[in-house]
Amino acid sequence: MTKRILVAEDQEDLRAILRDYLTASGYAVIEAVDGRESIAKAGSERPDLVLMDIQLPVLDGYDATRQIKALPGLIAVPIIAVSSFAMKGDEEKARAAGCDHYVTKPYSPVQLLHIIRGFLAEKS
Amino acid sequence: MSSEVSTVTGEQSVEELRRELAEVREQQAATAEILASISSSVTDANQVFAKIAATAARLCDAFDAAIFQVDGSSLRLVAHHGQIPFPSPIGQHKIPLVRALLNGRAVIERRTNQVVDMQAEAEEYPEGRELAVRLGWRTGLSVPLLRAGEAIGAILLRRREVRPFTRKQIELLKTFADQAVIAIENTRLFKEVQARTKELQESLEYQTAISNVLGVISRTPTQLQLVLRSIAQTAARLCESFVAQVYRLVDGELQMVAQHGSLPRLPARYQLPLTRGSVTGRAILDRQTVHVDDISALLESEFPDAKPSQLVVGHRTTLATPLIREGQPIGAILLRRADVRPFSPKQVSLLQTFADQAVIAIENTRLFNEIVQKSQELEIASQHKSQFVANMSHELRTPLAAMLGYAELLQEGIYGVQPEKSLPILTRIRSNGKHLLGLINTVLDISKIEAGQFKLSIGEYAMGSIVDTVMVATESLAAGKNLAFTAEVAKALPYGLGDEPRLTQVLLNLVGNAIKFTDAGEVRIAAGAANGYLTVSVSDTGPGIPLEECDRIFEKFRQVDSSNTRTKDGTGLGLAIAKDIIEMHGGRIWVESRLGHGSTFRIELPLRAASASGVT
Repeated sequence: MTKRILVAEDQEDLRAILRDYLTASGYAVIEAVDGRESIAKAGSERPDLVLMDIQLPVLDGYDATRQIKALPGLIAVPIIAVSSFAMKGDEEKARAAGCDHYVTKPYSPVQLLHIIRGFLAEKS
Repeated sequence: MSSEVSTVTGEQSVEELRRELAEVREQQAATAEILASISSSVTDANQVFAKIAATAARLCDAFDAAIFQVDGSSLRLVAHHGQIPFPSPIGQHKIPLVRALLNGRAVIERRTNQVVDMQAEAEEYPEGRELAVRLGWRTGLSVPLLRAGEAIGAILLRRREVRPFTRKQIELLKTFADQAVIAIENTRLFKEVQARTKELQESLEYQTAISNVLGVISRTPTQLQLVLRSIAQTAARLCESFVAQVYRLVDGELQMVAQHGSLPRLPARYQLPLTRGSVTGRAILDRQTVHVDDISALLESEFPDAKPSQLVVGHRTTLATPLIREGQPIGAILLRRADVRPFSPKQVSLLQTFADQAVIAIENTRLFNEIVQKSQELEIASQHKSQFVANMSHELRTPLAAMLGYAELLQEGIYGVQPEKSLPILTRIRSNGKHLLGLINTVLDISKIEAGQFKLSIGEYAMGSIVDTVMVATESLAAGKNLAFTAEVAKALPYGLGDEPRLTQVLLNLVGNAIKFTDAGEVRIAAGAANGYLTVSVSDTGPGIPLEECDRIFEKFRQVDSSNTRTKDGTGLGLAIAKDIIEMHGGRIWVESRLGHGSTFRIELPLRAASASGVT
């Protein structure tokens, strides 16, 4: 069955890149443009993995991650934090919020795909 | 006295001799007693005079004895022993210095003067006779007090009966006169020394006070109030005033800003109109010190505006000195005394010194506040700039990330198979994009360093793996220029504690530079450890760096020369950032080079970064 990835990202271009690349790589992509939508979609769509941008409108990636992990049955869903800050302390904050991995922008889509595959292979 | 003893003749009886000897002894004992009194009471000649008068009256067998001192054109009574009364007390009673009186003549003629019967001397001493008749005395003897040939007073002996004083008694009285002079002289010298000592003490005290105020000024540049209060307190103490106030000129009004001493019935924020009708106002308007001996006498004519406060406070002698900055009055210091006692010239000039110090303090505070405000403004402006640069760099990275992402997907064939020719172009797009990203990151680093937001992320690292990472990232560049590229890492290097990504960034910068500036030959990395430090060096066979540039290349926006700036790209920030990163680790970085002989950049890093414990 096709694995489904929730991409929470407010930048249209970055969503498009992930959508195009991940779809081409055999995944189904669900999109959310802000923190609140990412929680709603996670609850209704129950994705296999979440790519969570930290700087999201409405609700930031830390809060969204915390709430998604609190949803019934979603505690084990891998969440990869994506941040353009690369500031000291960001990674620790992301991990404290429940993120399973942390990458900084700009990332190489090819390398990101490696990481995603690692998580999804582990899970299955 | 001893000569008297030796003139004794054979006709004198043994009894007489014995009596005379006893007399001499008594006289010697008396003079010795007076001398002792002189030395024990240097401060008070009157005590000595009293003793001399009593002894002289007793030994010379007189009814009374009096000592007078010349005081202008009179003789002032300074001691008296006996029963003939004087109309006013000792120290105040004065008689005219005239030849018609026994004393007067002795002083004027500077010689001993004996009158056998004053009541018979109507011709020579008309006034003396009148007194003698009135007070009932006959024989009188007066010996002048001579100091360096000058008569400064006289001793007077009187008898109720006509009985002249003997030669011996006269000699004895002369001795007492000499002793009185010694006592006067002693006291004068003592008072002189005392005055001089007091003067020295005062000026020492003044200087100490002045330097204390200066100390307060320099210690508390921001606390003007403290300085002015200290000035008021010191001025009040040294100028002996029960109250001292500092006024400042605020919008044409005099506002009291500091006070020492209490004026219970005046409001705390006491204000005066600026008029010549108050002492303070006049000092300011005339720009000079105003010294009023007794203000209570001048309330109607001169200082009507001082009336309300004078009636409440009751002060008398008043002194005000203006505070003058660059010729303009900015306030004044006011001193008041409860009694009529003019300030000494020294106290006036001391107050003027305090006024100068108050001006310095006021000026200091103004300048200090100005500097503080300016630097705050600058700091805010600088923070805004750094924040702007940080925001801008961040904003620039977002579209760049999209461009790099799309280029990578194109190359990956996500959007269909690309024409063969476009593949190297996509590679170039990506490498240029990455270069641009590197430049933006550099600017971001610098702005973080400037804003103080640059922090190390401390962890364990292996220098060997940092060298490997850098080798992998740069070997294609070296190969492209046909350079020999080697790394020597000492075996069993200890792990270091520091920020691995930042240290990698530094080494990458050094190796990148070495390759960039070297056209032929080799680039060599070496890493080792010694004495608690890790050492890394990057050597090249490039053009080298002139000695005078070796330090400056670590400054921001700096490359070796303008021709290099044109031919070699780069922001000129890499080495400055490298230096910051190494120094944040507690290490150092430097270059050894000679023109035409290549360069060696060296880094020395403590095994544990200096800030390892302090970083949160």
